[in-house]
Amino acid sequence: MLTVNEITKSYNRKFALDSVSLQINKGEIYGLLGPNGAGKTTLIRIINQIIQQDKGTIRFDGKLMVEEHLRHIGYLPEERGLYKTMRVLDQLIFLAQIRGLNKTEAQRNALFWLEKFQIQDWSNKRIEELSKGMAQKIQFIASVLHEPDMLILDEPLSGFDPVNIELILNELKTFKEQGKTIVLSTHNMRSVEEICDRVALIHASKKVAEDTVWNLREAQKQGEFIIRFKGNMISFANALWTDFELFDKKEIGESRFETIVKMRRGNKIDDLLKALMGNVEIEAVEERFPSMQEVFIELTKEKEVVDEK
Amino acid sequence: MKNSWLIAKRELKERLSNSAFLWMLFIGPIISLFLIYLLFKAGDEGKSTLRILIVDPVNLMDTKIIAQEGKTIDYYFTDKYIEVEEFRDGNKYQEFDALMEVNEKILMNKKAFVFYRENPSPDLKMQLKFQLERRVEEVMIEQFTRLSVDEFRQIKQPLNVDFRNVYDPKNEASDMEGWVGFVFGAIIVLFVLLFGMTILRSTTREKSNRIVEVLLASVKPSQLMLGKITGIGIAAFIQIIGWIILISLGLFVFRQTIFPDLFDLSNWEGIQVTSDVQQQIIDSTPVGRYNQFIELIYERINFGYMLLFFALLFVLAYFFYGAFFSAIGATAGTENDGQQFLFPILFILGFSLYAGYYAIILPDSTFTQWMQFIPFTSPVVVMVKIAQGYPIGTFYFAIISIFILVVSTYLFLAIAGRLYKNGILHFGHQLRLKNIISWLKKS
Repeated sequence: MLTVNEITKSYNRKFALDSVSLQINKGEIYGLLGPNGAGKTTLIRIINQIIQQDKGTIRFDGKLMVEEHLRHIGYLPEERGLYKTMRVLDQLIFLAQIRGLNKTEAQRNALFWLEKFQIQDWSNKRIEELSKGMAQKIQFIASVLHEPDMLILDEPLSGFDPVNIELILNELKTFKEQGKTIVLSTHNMRSVEEICDRVALIHASKKVAEDTVWNLREAQKQGEFIIRFKGNMISFANALWTDFELFDKKEIGESRFETIVKMRRGNKIDDLLKALMGNVEIEAVEERFPSMQEVFIELTKEKEVVDEK
Repeated sequence: MKNSWLIAKRELKERLSNSAFLWMLFIGPIISLFLIYLLFKAGDEGKSTLRILIVDPVNLMDTKIIAQEGKTIDYYFTDKYIEVEEFRDGNKYQEFDALMEVNEKILMNKKAFVFYRENPSPDLKMQLKFQLERRVEEVMIEQFTRLSVDEFRQIKQPLNVDFRNVYDPKNEASDMEGWVGFVFGAIIVLFVLLFGMTILRSTTREKSNRIVEVLLASVKPSQLMLGKITGIGIAAFIQIIGWIILISLGLFVFRQTIFPDLFDLSNWEGIQVTSDVQQQIIDSTPVGRYNQFIELIYERINFGYMLLFFALLFVLAYFFYGAFFSAIGATAGTENDGQQFLFPILFILGFSLYAGYYAIILPDSTFTQWMQFIPFTSPVVVMVKIAQGYPIGTFYFAIISIFILVVSTYLFLAIAGRLYKNGILHFGHQLRLKNIISWLKKS
């Protein structure tokens, strides 16, 4: 759907993006991750043709991206903005019109979304009369009003309470079911794990990783297992001896524990189970994968180490 | 282009729904009409009717002076000599507004004194002078000639020596017309300043509330800039049209009620005059002896012609300066930033008024000739020159000025568009000249 090829952008001889390439497929939710100042917003602005890249190309549906393609994109920028003195309905109609809808379609769609979010009573209110969360909802509606094929959302969940985060995540899932493509730039890693199919991590103006959420977590696994058992903690620790490392432990009931054990010397889960059997009563064993939060921290840390070298 | 129009419509709607806009639409013309009223009154102040006591000890006038129904001056005669102090303080003379002394010397030295309690209006003074002059003339004809009054008046022709500019042989130009042009030019400057500031504020506000990023995802920076300038410009134009309509209506009402035209025969109460005589009065009346402002507004200005050029110059000047205001707004880091870059524009706008003033005082000077071509000053100077009337064969100067202004406006819009594009997404910085230069260099 969208191919970003070797995009480079620099400001005052400093790279904001350095040969970044991405492949975003139709119908997927694609997470764009990275620490603050990594270059995500610059990339999003380039995709939206708000600023121009120094080098590289962007293709939309296989064709070099032109202004006409912007009508198929819905964009919610990180820095939100609405006309404060304008009424909600007028504002939505105006923003839909500049995205190519005629006035009738714009009004129909605006009323549909206001009703869907059960906020039709706000339609005659001025933006300055709304709370921050309310205005966020209006901005979200403004970005989807023209029924785009692709949504680019920069931090769409910031400023929302948990109820509204759930509402927005559900809407994104619905969009995906409808075959729409979503590019999601966020620091909310729980939502990344929950809804993203693939993610790219941008750090210090470069892409440092791009894969499915599962593959990235798998790639960062440390050979750690969560063991839940009933028995004596000293017996458990003695059974591990020097072949395994007790990484963490937590008492979850009377003589019941949950531990994290790390493999050593090339041992595998079978070896661990053999060592423990007879010493404690094993209730559950599960391989521990790092969260996206940990993957994010790990990958950005790795990059910093490489840069320092 | 469609998006520019959408932006323009939104700007226009916002301006029209702004209460300040509506206030200005009515308060501006009311203040203007009030000032015009004061100007008219200044030239027409004093009492509107007079009771004059003519002291005529030798009965020179034979108690006769032109006086008819509906007259504004009442004459009373006495053959008793009255001192000025006696007239001033005596109870029986308090009903009279003025005392006029007439004796046989008037036939030789053509001089009469009128002692008034309250200065009469120029209009009444002129009527009094005219009526006395005609009566004295009748007495002189009777005493010194064998002609009838009509015969005398047919051969009586004053000798006028009229000094005229070789480039303006019809004497169409004058300071007064120049001032009307200057007022038109000043209105252009006023509206450019007021609505230019609106462009600046609107642009910085869009930056500070970040909606500009949403807009730029759909609209090119140049389209956004052009849409904004156009929308606010239409609002300014509506404001001006409103002013013109309301001021015109006010002037019409003035003419019909408070300031009827002095040269309308029906207003020459008490005097039966032919059109020839009327023209004689006009020709022989020195400047300042009648209300020249009224005559200027109602008789001498070709408003259709002036308004046509005013509209053209206003649109060009607005876009020319609007490009500057827009560029400053786009490059400013915060809503309050960019003030220091406003100063040069304000200075230039002030200078353009000075150039207009200079064109009134010295219309043919080299400085004026240059200023009419420089786009920063040409809207005011050309307006003044058009009001004065271009000398025959030189109207092409106005065409050249307008052409230069069109080309400059196009160039400045292009330059402002570049600054707008490169500066609009920079927030929170302190605007410096080096930013502007580097953004100008960027494509």
